[in-house]
Amino acid sequence: MIDFARVQKELQECSRDVEKSGIKVTPKSDGCLARLIGTIPGPSGTPYEDGTFQIEITLPDGYPFEPPKMHFATKVWHPNISSQSGAICLDILKDQWSPALTLKTALLSVQALLSAPQPDDPQDAVVAQQYLRDYQTFVGTARYWTETFAKTSSLGVEEKVQKLVEMGFPEAQARNALEAVGGDENLALEKLCSG
Amino acid sequence: MQNQEGLQADGEVDSATSAPSTQFDDWANFADNDIMQQQSSIQAEEAEKIPFEPLSSLAAEYQSGSTILLEKIKVLSEQYAAIRRTRGDGNCFFRSFMFSYLEHILETQDRAEVDRIKANVEQCRKTLQSLGYTDFTFEDFFALFLEQMESVLQGNEDSISHDELILRSRDQSVSDYVVMFFRFVTSGEIQKRSEFFEPFIMGLTNATVEQFCKSSVEPMGEESDHVHITAISDALGVPIRVVYLDRSSCDTGGVSVNHHDFIPADSDLPSASGSKTISPFITLLYRPGHYDILYPK
Repeated sequence: MIDFARVQKELQECSRDVEKSGIKVTPKSDGCLARLIGTIPGPSGTPYEDGTFQIEITLPDGYPFEPPKMHFATKVWHPNISSQSGAICLDILKDQWSPALTLKTALLSVQALLSAPQPDDPQDAVVAQQYLRDYQTFVGTARYWTETFAKTSSLGVEEKVQKLVEMGFPEAQARNALEAVGGDENLALEKLCSG
Repeated sequence: MQNQEGLQADGEVDSATSAPSTQFDDWANFADNDIMQQQSSIQAEEAEKIPFEPLSSLAAEYQSGSTILLEKIKVLSEQYAAIRRTRGDGNCFFRSFMFSYLEHILETQDRAEVDRIKANVEQCRKTLQSLGYTDFTFEDFFALFLEQMESVLQGNEDSISHDELILRSRDQSVSDYVVMFFRFVTSGEIQKRSEFFEPFIMGLTNATVEQFCKSSVEPMGEESDHVHITAISDALGVPIRVVYLDRSSCDTGGVSVNHHDFIPADSDLPSASGSKTISPFITLLYRPGHYDILYPK
């Protein structure tokens, strides 16, 4: 059984200092506390600067004894994050997890991973190889991906919904799609087209 | 290494990318999940075992093995009557300690000891707070341990019997919480006295004491050694005897079994109980990689 009382406390704690940390955790649209969305700002001084990254969080039954499952919903170019699936290679999300950690500290570690890639222990071999062999191209690609996928501030949600509606999608569906992909209109469009 | 099974179930994970790539959905995660699943099923199997056996069963285990070990078991059986086996999942020291301690309180009904340890537990809580731990990360574990201690004291509405204690110790929703309580206490003590502990932590190159605690004390399943035992014994003020059963032999000819008593550092006892010599009421048997509980005759 998930310890929901604890999850509740974690969410409160996290929202209390969101201004300071920039790290947000909110339940997904269905309101179930086992499925959450985490948000981290890209660390400054990295190609991820000024990006906002959404991380999909699923809590296993054994939480907090088992680690939360996390993967990037926002596409990101990083040696330890799959550019395909968003899977994250991070020890504290696997065998180094401890109930002493929280969703917030885990997200802080994910943020730290953005600052300090570990190309020798890669999740995405292609990215890792580029990082090691052609660092400048890596930085360029990572920055381009940040610009393309991790900047949600250009348009408000309502405007994005409106845009999708104008393309001919029903409003409710457009809204759901946007929410599911974390507000990125391009991804939402892809989702609408493929679904 | 790609895992084709069960990928459909994860379909929405990759909804953002184009159709062909769904084949690659989360395969890395999936392998990890497989491993974790297997691990927890092994743990569930192990959970069934906490049998209480005469020491002769230990001898039977080594019947065709090393003569040194058999000799040592013979020596052990002069002093010890029985062994209680603990599941081998990396938490064996903490589980042995938990059961042994609660069983001791259940049998002695030593309310003075309960009051003493409660004061230490409060101290540990303060230690964690001053180290910057958020209350909600540890309070449930502390509460559950205190609850177990109350319940082994008889005369309360929710007092439990010895059989019930065994059942609870096998119940992961109790046992794991108590193990985690001990891990917090251990980690807090090591960090509080990091200068003292640092030289005893092996392989601590390129890592701090704090990192050691994060990687080798706080995660479930990380095994305990001298550092952990010293820390918890000091923090809770509970002496622990560890008897070592290994192949080492002494030069003097006769076989003897080594033991080490972990006696809490007095300076860290807020309620030092005078000058009387403390003898451990908890005895654990250490065989390389595992701890079980020993019962004196």
